[in-house]
Amino acid sequence: MSFESQEKSLRELCESLLRDGKVKSVAGFGPQSPDTGLSPPLIAKTAGNAKRLSWNSRCVPSIARYLIGRDGPAAIAAKPCDARAVASLVTERQLERKDVFIIGMECAGMTDGSGAPLRACAECGTRRAPVCDAEITGAPETARGTRDAAEDFSPERFRREMDKCILCFSCRQACYGCYCETCFMDRGVPSWQSARPDVGAKMTYHLGRAMHLAGRCVECGACENVCASGVDARYLIRAATVFVEEEYGFRAGMDAQTPSALLTFKSDDPETGFWKDGKHD
Amino acid sequence: MTDVIGEHVFRQFLASLEPAMRLAGPVRDGKIVEFREGAPEDFVLDDSVSYKAPKEFYFPQVERLITFQDGEAESEPEPRPVAVTGARPCDLEALRVMRAVFLNGRYKDPFFEQRQARGLVIGLACDARKPGCFCDALGLDMKFSDFCDILLERARGEGAFKVTHLSGRGAEALAKFPGTADVKPAPARVGVTRGRALGLDLGRGEKEFFGLIDWEDAAAACQGCGMCTYICPTCHCFEFRDVTENGVTGRYRCWDSCMFPRFTLHASGHNPRASRAARYRQRVLHKYLYVAQNTGHIACTGCGRCVRSCPVGINIKSIVESLTEAEK
Repeated sequence: MSFESQEKSLRELCESLLRDGKVKSVAGFGPQSPDTGLSPPLIAKTAGNAKRLSWNSRCVPSIARYLIGRDGPAAIAAKPCDARAVASLVTERQLERKDVFIIGMECAGMTDGSGAPLRACAECGTRRAPVCDAEITGAPETARGTRDAAEDFSPERFRREMDKCILCFSCRQACYGCYCETCFMDRGVPSWQSARPDVGAKMTYHLGRAMHLAGRCVECGACENVCASGVDARYLIRAATVFVEEEYGFRAGMDAQTPSALLTFKSDDPETGFWKDGKHD
Repeated sequence: MTDVIGEHVFRQFLASLEPAMRLAGPVRDGKIVEFREGAPEDFVLDDSVSYKAPKEFYFPQVERLITFQDGEAESEPEPRPVAVTGARPCDLEALRVMRAVFLNGRYKDPFFEQRQARGLVIGLACDARKPGCFCDALGLDMKFSDFCDILLERARGEGAFKVTHLSGRGAEALAKFPGTADVKPAPARVGVTRGRALGLDLGRGEKEFFGLIDWEDAAAACQGCGMCTYICPTCHCFEFRDVTENGVTGRYRCWDSCMFPRFTLHASGHNPRASRAARYRQRVLHKYLYVAQNTGHIACTGCGRCVRSCPVGINIKSIVESLTEAEK
């Protein structure tokens, strides 16, 4: 039971899926970079190319987004968070369930370049994809599912993190849920951000993104994994995620049917988020 | 007196530059190292490399050029000069490229010129090659560049630098401080020419490169973030924005990125670089073809930052190599 045996099974399965014409492409991970050790996303379109699919502790990128707009049915070598992202994209009508063959890769959590568990992975207790069409188990055992309890929501912390941000938008581009054709940050009419990319623009962006991801985040950590500047803004999104879970009992991507909380209207919604201490906030 | 200077003495030298100059250098903040303004003791002068190049001290991410108020226009006052410590040879050679772009053409950029002419650049030789670095393939020496005022090389053992100066300004600054007054100029490098392994045939037209490799395939994993351009030591594209607040209008120059779809979006809605592949192709050819044709310098110094930080592992060196391979 190891990455190697999972990788072997994955390659065999994908080769046959492609050879038999069941799918036109497979989104997965390629051979590790000699420079960084990262397994970059790989889209295999032939059985021959499927032999290059890799599975190891550095399959870090979030890859569900590569399925959007793809021609014909596609398979995905999905970490549990990728599978949740696919399920969520199905409920949001970005993908057709029948067009995606989800290969659930049992996941021991991914690591950074030094071999330490990524923070989102250390916090994640989900080893197996909640939605899949085939499953490849055998991941090594790891202790996970722990999270620092107290969160600091002070303006000082927010400001400190925003000072580091360079507004390169890599967190948005890496996020499965940020698929808007034109992000609110790129809109000119109306212009949501100050024309000057200062700390106010950074705050608008990160708060806006957190609100847009309320109840849609699958906790993959892609936003913080890709950030070269070391910005920690995921705690904002997590606060929104926890709120939706507590108030509406909804976790994104746990199945491919339940529409997300943001896509649901209920006339008896207590609208807790708009009220504070019994008063309209 | 020797040219080996204790680290604490060197930091005292930096302190002596204040308050005439602002000080900047690599600062550690959690997982990252980045160039920031700070005090001499804040700077990490070991072999760790900043994730982002120090170009912002010559070409800031956001810079107010003009203020308009009540029908009057005023240019911004000259900023206090900055002494940047810890720029690597790749960063220094990148400044040479930036200078060629901003100052050697028909139009000179006074803002860039002002910052470079009045500041002090203190280079720091690399001890070792980092993962993703390829400055050697571009003919650079990781331990030397003469495009600085003062060059530091960490002496064997801890806590000391071999210090040399490479400009009159560097010599003058060192001479003013007792502990560094005897620092000598860098020995002349006679006959040192380094081969360049990486590069395109500049005689070819751009269209030939368009069809040389499958750019869709090369950029298949690209997520279209602008990180590579923002952390790059030579990327220099910018746009202007006018912002009016409380009756005062500022004209700002802000970094732009060819990785963003809006970079080339026309008012008509047409976008000549509509796909990510076309945008990525622009990034590679701008660095290795267009700037090289226009200035004689390849606008990549092999610093490896984009290789290390790209979230999906895109490697510009491999792509240039595949172009060279396809040229044959």
